[in-house]
Amino acid sequence: MMEQLVLDIHLDAPPDFSNFVIGENGALIEALNLAVQGEGHIYLWGEAASGRSHLLHAAVALSQSAGRPACYLESEAIGDSLPDTSALLIALDDVHRLPAAAQIALFNAFNRARALNQTLLLTGDRAPRELDLREDARTRIGQCLVFEVKPLDDASRAAILAMLAERRGLRLADEVIAFILRHGRRDLPSLASLIDALDHASLERKRPITLPLLRTLMQTGLAL
Amino acid sequence: MTQDIWSFCLSRLESELPPQQFNTWIKALTADCGSSSAEASLRLLAPNRFVLQWVRERYLRRIGELGEEFFGAPMQLELAIPATGATAAKANAAVASAKVVQVPVEPLGTVIVHTPAQAVSQGGASDVTYEKTRLNADFTFDTLVTGRANDLARAAAMQVAQNPGTSYNPLFIYGGVGLGKTHLVQAIGNAVYRHNPRAVIRYVHVEDYYADVVRAYQQKSFDAFKRYYRSLDMLIIDDIQFFNNKNRTQEEFFHAFNALTEAKKQIIITCDTYPKDIQGLEDRLISRFDWGLTVQIEPPELEMRVAILKKKAEVLSVDLTDDVAFLIAKNLRSNVRELEGALNKVVAFARFHGRSISLEVAKDALKDLLNAHNRQLTIEHIQKTVADYYKIKIADMHSKKRTRVIARPRQVAMWLAKDLTPMSLPAIGEAFGGRDHTTVLHACRTIADLRLADHQLNHDVHVLTQVLRG
Repeated sequence: MMEQLVLDIHLDAPPDFSNFVIGENGALIEALNLAVQGEGHIYLWGEAASGRSHLLHAAVALSQSAGRPACYLESEAIGDSLPDTSALLIALDDVHRLPAAAQIALFNAFNRARALNQTLLLTGDRAPRELDLREDARTRIGQCLVFEVKPLDDASRAAILAMLAERRGLRLADEVIAFILRHGRRDLPSLASLIDALDHASLERKRPITLPLLRTLMQTGLAL
Repeated sequence: MTQDIWSFCLSRLESELPPQQFNTWIKALTADCGSSSAEASLRLLAPNRFVLQWVRERYLRRIGELGEEFFGAPMQLELAIPATGATAAKANAAVASAKVVQVPVEPLGTVIVHTPAQAVSQGGASDVTYEKTRLNADFTFDTLVTGRANDLARAAAMQVAQNPGTSYNPLFIYGGVGLGKTHLVQAIGNAVYRHNPRAVIRYVHVEDYYADVVRAYQQKSFDAFKRYYRSLDMLIIDDIQFFNNKNRTQEEFFHAFNALTEAKKQIIITCDTYPKDIQGLEDRLISRFDWGLTVQIEPPELEMRVAILKKKAEVLSVDLTDDVAFLIAKNLRSNVRELEGALNKVVAFARFHGRSISLEVAKDALKDLLNAHNRQLTIEHIQKTVADYYKIKIADMHSKKRTRVIARPRQVAMWLAKDLTPMSLPAIGEAFGGRDHTTVLHACRTIADLRLADHQLNHDVHVLTQVLRG
């Protein structure tokens, strides 16, 4: 059978709060909303793929749509200074990777935040106490409102799978979702790329995604 | 009446503004219906300083116009932050507005707009002060908790505040990270400013001073730079350790220092270490720091940490029972900054879940901070940290050598092992090359005695404790 050629078009919703599955993170979402209103700095930590970057992007988007300037920055890319724009909301991802000069930049940003009306949203992979940073920068992070981004349970993961699929116009039967969660890696990036692969395969074969198709795909080398 | 006018404004603004702007800024405001009885007036409460400024700059004029439309005459419009329970306003709007009605609120940074055309800013006063001095008005002697750890430094600071330029010049305050150095020096500035608003005071962080020097280079404006810094009555310079190898900045500071001290103008300096230990600082500066008084701030002991928490809770106007304060203070030992972070966390957690602050709530809230906290310190970790600090080999911790340069660090490590781990003395002795427990006991007594006499050693012990406790 001829396979349908698939155009290389991806649609991905930009990360925002509506496509973040909240799970046990209600207080954290609320705090991020308040941070946009200048309530105080926030530090989020959690294991890899727990959704830290997603939340930062979401907060930046929220801030911008409320008219407040905001920027998303990677710790490894900031060099030796952070922007000094007034009222800016600075989302800085992965502070555990901050190079030495950038740690001073963060320290300075903390000191100037009050004068500049800036708000800092930071993320890292461990609790403030465990961060291997300059002590003066580290304790300032410890002064933020600290949240652990709670990992998702399987119910939330199932909800995410369904949501990712629906965004592509796919409908996954409950048994398919259960199968994926039983057999595959369950962190979010893996789930997202799996949905991409399924979407692609379903278009190619012009078949809906069913358990038998999933099994066939696995036999032909799709890694769950 | 208040509710009518505010509902009118809300419905109009909702249709005029993008939804996210409306939700973020306008819905954050609450109309204070308890206050005014006057016709044609509206008093709005913003949850914090940021929202207040934001609304003042962007939406206040429009709200004034809407008021005029509603009343058919100019409306008296006031925007304020409630003095207490400010942060409660957003967590639960219903509760917050009820609270606002019951508690007479005092305006913090008030803005009164009689008509949209003539905006009078009362809150502007503190902004102007800040612009001039860079002092944070919250840092005063009143809000500083005193204990054994900062008694001496505070007494010296009060002296300087009463007799600037003549008592101790410079006043050099040093201590570990997050112990309140900045608070203390700004308290001096604020006290002097309150007493004499004409005094020209400037608080500057070394990194900003450095930026000023760079700017003077770029704009070829060294004359103006020098004139400014030499015109001050009081210069407060924070975190002098950042001068590290910035030679031109050090030179400028050296000249400013000389000019100011000659003119009997006060200089106040903070640093994270004892002057002689500052890396990359010119000797001529270090020797000048000895002219005045050098005092240390030490980490606060348990009772003082509890007192600090109580004070901060009072400022946030939340009830903090002794057992909760004790729980937080016991778990966060090394600095005040993280103590404050922990308290904020507990308060936010209780508020979000609509519960009062109990021991159980505090334990739950602190999980986010303490999760990895209670890792047990191992003796190997202590030995390695101490060996690194004194630049000796770890093997020396176990060796039989008894020269001072090795024996002293070993004794420090033993003292730390006793202080920071639950291990028995024989077990500690065993871990230090099979020594007898009496050797450990002797080491602990030696260090305890020496700390009182040798403040270099005392400082080392503090730094090591802070590092090890994380």
